[in-house]
Amino acid sequence: MNFDMRPDAVMQELMGYSQKLAHGVRNLSEVGEISSGVSPKTPVYSEDKLTLYRFDPPKDKIPGRTPLLIVYALVNRPYMTDIQENRSTVKGLMDAGQDVYLIDWGYPDRADRYLTLDDYINGYIDRCVDVMCQRHKVDKINILGICQGGTMSLCYAALHPDKVKNLVTMVTPVDFQTPDNMLSHWVQQVDIDMLVDTLGNVPGEMLNWTFLNLKPYQLMGQKYLGLLDTLDDPDALKNFLRMEKWIFDSPDQAGETFRQFIKDFYQGNKLLKGGLEIGAPVSLKNVTMPVLNIYAEQDHLVPPDASRALRGQVGSRDYTELSFPGGHIGIYVSGKAQKTVPPAIGKWLDERA
Amino acid sequence: MVGDSSKNWMDDWLSAQQSYWKSWADLTQRGMQAPAAPRNPWAEGIDQWWRAVAPMTPPAGRDVFDKLMDLSRGYFSMAERYVADSGGAEKGMDVINGWFENMQQTWTDWMHGGMHPDDRMKGLMTFWDLPLDTWNRLSASLMPMPGDFTQAFHPEGAQAGLRGQVNRFLSIPAVGYTRESQEQYQRLAQLMMDYGNALQAYQMAFGTLAVQTTQDFQAAIRDNAKEGKTFTSLREVYDQWVEVSEAAYARFVMTRDYQELYGRLVNTLIAVKHQMARMVDQGLEALHMPTHAEISTLQCRQQELRRENLRLRKEIQDIHAQLEAMRQRAIQPEPEAPAKAAMARPAPAKSAAKPSGKSMSARAPVKSAAKAAGTKTTANKAGGGRK
Repeated sequence: MNFDMRPDAVMQELMGYSQKLAHGVRNLSEVGEISSGVSPKTPVYSEDKLTLYRFDPPKDKIPGRTPLLIVYALVNRPYMTDIQENRSTVKGLMDAGQDVYLIDWGYPDRADRYLTLDDYINGYIDRCVDVMCQRHKVDKINILGICQGGTMSLCYAALHPDKVKNLVTMVTPVDFQTPDNMLSHWVQQVDIDMLVDTLGNVPGEMLNWTFLNLKPYQLMGQKYLGLLDTLDDPDALKNFLRMEKWIFDSPDQAGETFRQFIKDFYQGNKLLKGGLEIGAPVSLKNVTMPVLNIYAEQDHLVPPDASRALRGQVGSRDYTELSFPGGHIGIYVSGKAQKTVPPAIGKWLDERA
Repeated sequence: MVGDSSKNWMDDWLSAQQSYWKSWADLTQRGMQAPAAPRNPWAEGIDQWWRAVAPMTPPAGRDVFDKLMDLSRGYFSMAERYVADSGGAEKGMDVINGWFENMQQTWTDWMHGGMHPDDRMKGLMTFWDLPLDTWNRLSASLMPMPGDFTQAFHPEGAQAGLRGQVNRFLSIPAVGYTRESQEQYQRLAQLMMDYGNALQAYQMAFGTLAVQTTQDFQAAIRDNAKEGKTFTSLREVYDQWVEVSEAAYARFVMTRDYQELYGRLVNTLIAVKHQMARMVDQGLEALHMPTHAEISTLQCRQQELRRENLRLRKEIQDIHAQLEAMRQRAIQPEPEAPAKAAMARPAPAKSAAKPSGKSMSARAPVKSAAKAAGTKTTANKAGGGRK
């Protein structure tokens, strides 16, 4: 027999469970406000819902001459890159000597329903790049694109290669139809036109539940039982709540942008296969600047093969890959990532300064 | 904040639970059959406790605790089931096998006859229901109807005969003054039927998956037994179950069948919402109020105007930059160098523009025009899609 669970032991287990819950509620009352986005920053440009921030460089560091722009995904909030003091990609990049800017897309509402990818890429991103170029009196900047923001950065770099000195892509989908891509598999038979025509903007909640359904038993069940083990520790509880806040903080998606992103990228795979137009034809062969492509080996949202597909597609001869042994979120927040990823980006950029 | 009163609540609750479980433990240790208890007393107890404490907790984190409590109810139900079925004896494997049989039977009954699980099984099924629960929450959030109207759908509704009859009824041509309105309602009813059918097919597939997962779980336990592994806590059983469930789920949702089911589910739900929006618009139009479609058209035009405005602003900036460069050239004193050298020097337009920080905008109006043309194309496409 391989079940040695005596009923009294089970009840003892439940007693412990109840005690943890009760202590957890006490700790919950002392948690206070859940802050996010810890590094000081200054807004330098804003337009519509967008704000371009510059992170205040550390006083003991002189940042590099070429500033670095972080382009985050539209589907979540960018404070994930700076979520807490000891888990901040931004801080790591600044420690590595980078002058870091970040685009906060804000929360699109129904008035933004007709924003297109063209508006985002050739409009918003381009104007942010111009602002940075003018502030630093340079012709080109460095870009770090994350997840969907990486795909948008690739498109931007292909359309404006004269404005991008170096491009770093992080957990960025390029091939949207790899056999292990669950999101892509699910969306193939969804009538996106009817969805957008009916809903207008696509609710963030809808995307959120979709992401949770990638691993429903872990992400909606086991994760919360795991929380029980850390309820005694106020700091751990606060960290958990901070992550939870981020996970459920999903902006609505501008309808037309969503339509084009799903149809052209997920259903048409046009970034890889060709035929993509965002104001003008987009060809990865026009990405001629040095490229550092970072992917996570256990990424359940953007499978490694979806990112690695960039190899051989860009026009640049200076192409580097960096794999990280972790998941889609761990690549920004895990202790291991903090020690390896930002320093590697800083070193790679410095070598191409 | 959790004050003294809630502290007392928690202490009272813990002490009551402690004595309750101690009594149960004493009975089971003596090998006695536990007395009949209310259904799911522990799960209900924890529920009551949370209802009392929740209002006193700060909003930050209450959602998380709500989720934890949902899960805890299932977890406690699982424990109750185990302890009740064990009858004080050390026959864990038999109890677990009993669970499996019950779960399989419950899912099978549910799929074939629309039988709902009894209250005790319902607690256990909380775990299995997670992907369906997600869909129910999502679809409810998209629907203007109060609550989840899909609760009215039962598997027996999927029977072809009944469905055919309803379809024939809904196909009766509308007549009279209210013909158009009747047709809209018939259309809505038809679309809701389609969604109901899609939802049932989806639920049935998950029922099959649940049975499959149960079998996989049994196989995993057998494998563990062969390797000499022992489960000593509910938590270990639960973790193993999660691992097996995720694996079975991942296989299932990557099939072509699931892709079709999911596509049909989303498309039929959106079709219902689309029809509802159309009917609301007709009502608004009759009242001479702005409709959703009209506002959407205005939003589209507004965005086109903003694009045009931005393009023109950029062109004006470029022209200003060029004028400034020309002005700088004009006011610069003629160098004293020999006339020949001055004539040979190239025009300093670019370097003159740079100090004013306009080098980017001086990047030629040709490019802006090209961009604008592209923008227009996309906007047209967007408008086309809306039609």
